[in-house]
Amino acid sequence: MSDHILAGRPAAGRPAAWWAMAMLIASEATLFGSFVGTYYYLRFTTRVWPPDGLPKPALAVPLVLVACLTATSVPMQLASRAARAGRLGATRLFLVVALFVQSGYFAFESNDFGEQIKHRFDITRNAYSSIYYVLLGADHAHVFVGLLFDLWLLWKLARGLTRYRVNAVQAIAWYWQAVIVLTLVVTGTLLSARA
Amino acid sequence: MTRQRLELLQWVGLLLGAGVFAAQLVVGFGITLAECGDGGNRFGIGNDLWQGVLAGAAAALVAGAEAAAVTVFLRTRRTTYEAPPPDGRIRFLAIAAMAANAVFLVIVLLSGLASILGVTCRPG
Amino acid sequence: MAVVEAPESPAAAERLDRLEQIWRSRPGLLGWLTTTDHKRVGLLYLWTTLAFFAAGGAESLLIRTQLAQPNSHVVSPSTFDELFSMHGITMIFFFIIPMTTGAFGNYLLPLMIGARDMAFPRMNALSYWIFLASGIFLYTSLGLGMAPNAGWFDYVPLASRAFDPGRNVDFYCLGIIFNSIASTLTAAQFIVTIFKSRAPGMSLNRLPLFCYAQLAAAFGLLFALPPLSADTIFLFLDRNVGTHFFDVALGGKSLLWQHLFWIFGHPEVYILIVPAFGIATSIIPAFTQRKLVAFPLVGIAELLVVFIGFGVWAHHMFATGLPTISLVFFAAATAMVVIPSTIQVFAWCMSFVTGTPQFKTPLLFIAGFIFMFVTGGLTGIMFMAIPFDQQVTDTYFVIAHFHYIIFGAAVFPIFGGLYYWFPKVTGKLYLERPGQLSFWIVFVGTNLLFFPMHIVGLLGMPRRQYTYPDGLGWTSYNLAETIGGFLTAAGILLLLGNLVYSYRKGADAGSDPWHGPTLEWATTSPPPEYNFPVVPKVTSAYANWDRDDREEDRRRLAEGLFVLEQGHEQVEVSAVDARLSDVVPMPHESPWPPLLAASLALVFSMLLLRKFGVAGVMAVLCVLTLVGWHSREPAEQ
Repeated sequence: MSDHILAGRPAAGRPAAWWAMAMLIASEATLFGSFVGTYYYLRFTTRVWPPDGLPKPALAVPLVLVACLTATSVPMQLASRAARAGRLGATRLFLVVALFVQSGYFAFESNDFGEQIKHRFDITRNAYSSIYYVLLGADHAHVFVGLLFDLWLLWKLARGLTRYRVNAVQAIAWYWQAVIVLTLVVTGTLLSARA
Repeated sequence: MTRQRLELLQWVGLLLGAGVFAAQLVVGFGITLAECGDGGNRFGIGNDLWQGVLAGAAAALVAGAEAAAVTVFLRTRRTTYEAPPPDGRIRFLAIAAMAANAVFLVIVLLSGLASILGVTCRPG
Repeated sequence: MAVVEAPESPAAAERLDRLEQIWRSRPGLLGWLTTTDHKRVGLLYLWTTLAFFAAGGAESLLIRTQLAQPNSHVVSPSTFDELFSMHGITMIFFFIIPMTTGAFGNYLLPLMIGARDMAFPRMNALSYWIFLASGIFLYTSLGLGMAPNAGWFDYVPLASRAFDPGRNVDFYCLGIIFNSIASTLTAAQFIVTIFKSRAPGMSLNRLPLFCYAQLAAAFGLLFALPPLSADTIFLFLDRNVGTHFFDVALGGKSLLWQHLFWIFGHPEVYILIVPAFGIATSIIPAFTQRKLVAFPLVGIAELLVVFIGFGVWAHHMFATGLPTISLVFFAAATAMVVIPSTIQVFAWCMSFVTGTPQFKTPLLFIAGFIFMFVTGGLTGIMFMAIPFDQQVTDTYFVIAHFHYIIFGAAVFPIFGGLYYWFPKVTGKLYLERPGQLSFWIVFVGTNLLFFPMHIVGLLGMPRRQYTYPDGLGWTSYNLAETIGGFLTAAGILLLLGNLVYSYRKGADAGSDPWHGPTLEWATTSPPPEYNFPVVPKVTSAYANWDRDDREEDRRRLAEGLFVLEQGHEQVEVSAVDARLSDVVPMPHESPWPPLLAASLALVFSMLLLRKFGVAGVMAVLCVLTLVGWHSREPAEQ
């Protein structure tokens, strides 16, 4: 590689992989913005919300779960820092901790999702149920993709740290920060029906 | 003025006006939806008051962005937009921001005023 | 003369040989299937979009044939519905966007910024293969007699299961989502490439206006496509899973479709024309031999027109009964969105007046573009007045407006650009006389085709009607339009014939026949695989006119500076001021892009057939393909 043209300066700025992830986040955030906009559009044009006597969303369980997910922001950020500092063991450790909590979150939420469909109301009930489950389901899908990212990353890191893998850790940590913010927004939106 | 301050003013000039225009459009439109939709007006504050406050705040912020852009433009009058970065780039983006904010200001004022003067919730 | 053509020393020649070896393309068909070279991807896009242009053109000629006479039965009403729907979808999603971004953008962007390739070459190839797959997917519907038939905008409730029970609209929903993945990837690609892959020294005040235009279109695509995806996801779910987003009886709203559609749809029309503006801002300096007037204002105008364009969407809904106080936000933004376009028109015209214009074929098409764009823009600003808009909604007046804009402001620059860059891509010169003739035939043809639509629209002729009765005073205008349509087609055939003939028998062009302003003219025609033998020195937005810098490039090659010959590599810079920040390895040919596109095609096909479980399995296949894609890191290749 012709690194000599850098005249000894370290690589500056964020790697292209981080930028690519920023593009993905921008696109997905806009998609969720459309879903959230749809939620409020339907809400502002419907007399009673939730309509048809459907139950308001539960408060306690979602908030606790979301708090746990939000907490994984810390190990993900630490993993990103450790990778940039070249500390392989620390990177792996932080990723495993984050993955453990994130998987737990996903398992509880998937189960809850299924329970709601079976026992509360299903997606085909009315417009409220339609947007409710699409918002929630899309959020869970993004968490699931994050889990796949984590697993792939741990598999790659089994063979050591290269610059490519350090960039990947940064990009995936960035993905998780975005998914956490997304989950907070989605949870807030759905819970606003209680107001 | 330090280079950092100049750079900050340049970015504020370029990005603040754009963000405020977008926010005023979305929020202003949302207010009319809430006012005129079946979901109804929840806080008892009329459309006109909401729109007046929103447009006033938005106009003030866009004017601020324009002031920032003009300040940078005046502070860089010894260079040209073709000069090497960062000076040339700063002047270039200040010129761009001055033009953009002027357009945003007119939109904010026009839409806010029209929303207040229009008969509330009459179908178009 | 380009550095590559005349190396100054044996050492320089040796370096060129080494670069050629490092960057040599795999030969044969396999080389094309696995290519990641932006120039090859651009050419693939060019031929494919021309094929879709022919399909869309055929659809339009069938429409015009049907409408030439009153009470006509050339095609049935249901076929007519499919024709105008497919015409709109094809021309927008499969011709203009992929031609201006995929063909022109891909081929020229890295060259103009002094790079060796895009930031993510494999993802670039993926965009093409997904685009091709989505086009095949959609056109399969036509072969099966199930083409989308509810218009390119596909309004509910007409497009709901109750009123359109066949698979037509499902093809639409899935085809649009499939295609939008390609455009989103392209958008992400262009943004990152423009910010990170420029030659050092090309700060934002030195970025060519073509690149500003592509940047604006890329931002537009990135933020406009998700609302469309949301809309089509909702519609697909309503039709196939039983949700009620648009079902009024159970709390849904028909207008929700329109809001989301036009939040995408209006920015989309700016995305259609802004890259073409970029083509115009490349051609005008070359044929007036002066820098474009008001460079910073034109640069920001490109970005501003797309940005404000996100705020005008409900002007497509002025006749839906929304409250006036809601509509005024959009009327205000619509009134002002014309300002950035006016700035650009002024700058172009002033550049003509203050330069020394040479009206060769490319500049003729740009002159035609300005005329058509201003005409279409004038009718556009008339729509800002809500009462006027409500009178002409759903009449041919609207069709006249947007065809003047789209054909005038997008297609004319495309034609001009095909002529302008033909020498760069092929190394040959086109024939000038037939070129100019092709312009005049197309110009007269399109005005004859679209101008009478203003009149017949004001006389009340509605859109999307497969025929009309006699005695309403519409007949002669419709006949004139049909004649204009065929005349336009003849002009286009002459244009394409000229290019094909010139490719075979044209005179040698050399590297810079036009004394062009930007860096693509600083290398050979066609460019070598590695584009530039050295990282070019850049100190202005018109880098090819800076002879000192181009001499410096020769010196760099002779002395072995900034040649980057240790592997398949290129530079990375800081986003704003383009300070050199890194050297990055680039991938060679790869089979993963076409494989991933094929896997995605399977997913969408299974969704169309409502085999959701199988679709899930195919999605797993996609994930595995992605894992394979990332199994070998670029430095290991």
